[in-house]
Amino acid sequence: MEVKILSAKFDIKDAHTLKVAKEHGAYSGLDTLFAVAPVVIIDLVKNSGLRGRGGAGFPAGLKWSFLPKGLDKPVYLAVNSDESEPATFKDRYILTRDPHMLIEGIIICCYAIGCHTAYIYIRGEYTTQVKVLQKAIDEAYAAGYLGEDVAGKGFQLDVTVHRGAGAYICGEETALLESIEGRKGQPRSKPPFPAVSGLYGCPTIINNVQTIASLPFILQNGADAYKAYGTEKSPGTHLFGISGHVAKPGLYELPLGLPLLEVIDRVAGGVWRGRQLKAVIPGGSSTPVLTPEEAKTATLDYESMAAHKTMFGSGGIVVLDETVDVVKLVENLIDFYHHESCGQCTPCREGLGWMLKIVKQLLRGEGRMADIELLRELCDNIEMKTVCVLSAACTMPVRSYLDKFRHEFVAYAIDRPQETGLNLG
Amino acid sequence: MAEMVKLFVNGQEVEVESGKNLIDAFEVIGIEIPHFCYHPALGSDGNCRMCLVGIEDGRPPLVPACKTPVSEGLKVQLDTEKIKKIQHDVMELELINHPIDCPVCDQAGECKLQDYYMSYDHQASRMRVPQVVKEKKMDLGCGVIHDQERCVLCARCVRFTRLITKTGELGIINRSDDARVALFPGRSLDNRYALNIVDLCPVGAMTSKDFRFKQRAWFLKRDKGICHGCSMGCNIFIDHNREKYKDDLIYRFRPRLNPEVNGYFICDEGRLGYHRENEGRLISARIGTEESSADQALQTARRRMEGADKLLILLSPNCSLEQMLAIQALAATTGATVSGFSDGSIKNGDADGYLIQDDKSANRAGLALLGVNTSPEFFESALQRTDTLVSFNNDLFITGPNQAWAKKLGEIQIIAISTHDTLFSRQAGIAIPTASYTEYAGSVINKDGILQTFGQAVCKNSAPLDMIRIAGLLGGTLTDPEALMQAMKRKIPAFAAIETDQIPEKGLKLSHNEAAHVTA
Repeated sequence: MEVKILSAKFDIKDAHTLKVAKEHGAYSGLDTLFAVAPVVIIDLVKNSGLRGRGGAGFPAGLKWSFLPKGLDKPVYLAVNSDESEPATFKDRYILTRDPHMLIEGIIICCYAIGCHTAYIYIRGEYTTQVKVLQKAIDEAYAAGYLGEDVAGKGFQLDVTVHRGAGAYICGEETALLESIEGRKGQPRSKPPFPAVSGLYGCPTIINNVQTIASLPFILQNGADAYKAYGTEKSPGTHLFGISGHVAKPGLYELPLGLPLLEVIDRVAGGVWRGRQLKAVIPGGSSTPVLTPEEAKTATLDYESMAAHKTMFGSGGIVVLDETVDVVKLVENLIDFYHHESCGQCTPCREGLGWMLKIVKQLLRGEGRMADIELLRELCDNIEMKTVCVLSAACTMPVRSYLDKFRHEFVAYAIDRPQETGLNLG
Repeated sequence: MAEMVKLFVNGQEVEVESGKNLIDAFEVIGIEIPHFCYHPALGSDGNCRMCLVGIEDGRPPLVPACKTPVSEGLKVQLDTEKIKKIQHDVMELELINHPIDCPVCDQAGECKLQDYYMSYDHQASRMRVPQVVKEKKMDLGCGVIHDQERCVLCARCVRFTRLITKTGELGIINRSDDARVALFPGRSLDNRYALNIVDLCPVGAMTSKDFRFKQRAWFLKRDKGICHGCSMGCNIFIDHNREKYKDDLIYRFRPRLNPEVNGYFICDEGRLGYHRENEGRLISARIGTEESSADQALQTARRRMEGADKLLILLSPNCSLEQMLAIQALAATTGATVSGFSDGSIKNGDADGYLIQDDKSANRAGLALLGVNTSPEFFESALQRTDTLVSFNNDLFITGPNQAWAKKLGEIQIIAISTHDTLFSRQAGIAIPTASYTEYAGSVINKDGILQTFGQAVCKNSAPLDMIRIAGLLGGTLTDPEALMQAMKRKIPAFAAIETDQIPEKGLKLSHNEAAHVTA
């Protein structure tokens, strides 16, 4: 089931160095790139159907075409390498194992959108990754792939690595821009959207690392070669990070559209220790959970996940076995989002802390049935009332656990109906 | 007149000014959209989420009103169950970690949390878990006391120090419900407008050290006034109260919006200037060192003036136009020379290019308009000739005792009509108390030639006489309000055309010629 498009060089020794990367085809598409007009590249990416790999799945080529024309302001590219969604560990592989694929992708994107200054916003915790990436960028500068005259084609491009200070919210594209500008990472109200007014008030494209890293393949092999993988609406391949209670956790590149359970069984070795599957988080901690029953019909693409009232997300699949205490999981989940809420908007700032305390109270055996109802209501009261979707990233999965595993919450309530017969032991 | 646009609120067509956001545009037509973080002087931030409104067929269907400009045909929903529920929910979340210590909070009575709770929430607390604990009674400097637990993180204070004073002392640190307003390390509030933060704060998180625990807001009478602290003429509210068995005292000045003069703010010196209205006043008249009745002092003064040689009358640049006219009439009757010399109230280099001016008097432009000579040379020569000086609240010793005139002043009769018991009034042979600017009505012209009127706010238990009345009792002929009005109309052409009660709230801008014209 596995394919090697993005991960083609992952297992090659020293592929992060320019020398080895070039031996395996890095930067070989630049002649093709500069031989055509930028608009041709935008059309190529549009035709490939490449969708944003940060989680939202917005068509990349379409995003680029939102840039206003004829402005006398510079255009910026910000590559989102914050990779802060729990259970997501795909971009780090690109950064450490094939950074030149990313740099080549940046050159392609910048040429297409007319950008001469690109930023790579990388999470502060990625210390190894930032070293490898910076070294690769230095090598690319020295070899003339970046700088005044990219590959001798007369195109100027500078790439700057900007390290975050460890905030989940800085993966939100406008908080990311605030952070680059040197301010506290807090999302901006939209509109205006970054494509119109982004970094330093200039038109800005923000793409995920994996999105940008997909460009060299598309440029070299054409849109059809990319579309040969995946489904009609979700073409291409994706780096899936499979973790949790599976026999073989790890990063796997797969075409989109594969059956979820089949992937868990055949790629990740199935649920570990012969245990039963309890639930699957399909694409990072913020995506609503799937029951084993729902997982049976779900396939790994944007449309199927939406049909199952969840999201494809970041490709971070978490497999939960029968031993998982869902209430404790929810405590952990809210704890994370509460800690990461930027504190700007009232509902998220105040609400997530309240939700966390309610769950903790329940776990201490001091909660009541009414608290479960309150928790459910708070999800509705907080969600989508804020500048960004961080609150929804918490309330959507919490609501799914409350609805799908309600009995586990009830079991903790001191005034639970006796006939439930549940015994916590 | 601004361009108007038609749009719909709750299905009703309304016409509002273009170029405004929904909050400001609807406020004009009497429709409230609740909000904490938005302030017209600080722009929209969009953090409180209290102003979320529905837009019918809108994408998105839910928008913050503070960030939404009015536009033709927009269908705004304020009364839908969805919007009411959002307002209710946001209020609940604002309050869960709020200490609800209204009984000991100075903001009580003028608190947005209280007002909105009554209008939009009105439910019992569902909070059964411990509240977030933060710092209390933090002294931020400049007399601003901060209670982090009462704070709703609207960031008005932070934006004020960034956008208005550009001093940037404050920021919001930490994330989530641990977020709090704090000073940058090693700093404290250090600007001349810091107390505006107390007004800006929609809740009781920022209180004034000066005002704390002095009065409940609902006991205060709020009268409109003009600050006499400098020539800017900032518009203020005079908040005062006569407690049982006590005198009518002022407890605070607050800024009053006048876009033509001071905008939304006032300086801290002006704000705290109310203390001088309460304290250090000349309470009773004196003849020599003996206390006397005002009547007796006035009679004595009048006799001395009648027998004076080359009488000199000194006017204060803080007098109202009406007072100046009445005193000029007195001078005409008594054949006195009138000087407006008052260089002592000019503090060169103190102006900051914003509200604070060098000239610490309120009506120097009025002196110029009425042709009163303010030059030191004119005053000196008049002083050398006279044997009697009558000062209408002009404190010659405002910057300390004047050695140059000490000998001469010791030789002549001084009659000081004074609001305050000062070094100068104590040297006077006769001292007569008079009403200060919060205790009478009048008009002043600010440094930009804007004529502003104000009414009487404070009424003292034993009210000192107004300078107009004193001028009359000393022999002046122009004391009748109607006659004063006619005199003003003769002096100020722009004034002639309109009735007094038609002077706009924002003040009457005199043309350059009028303001500079010397008609004497």
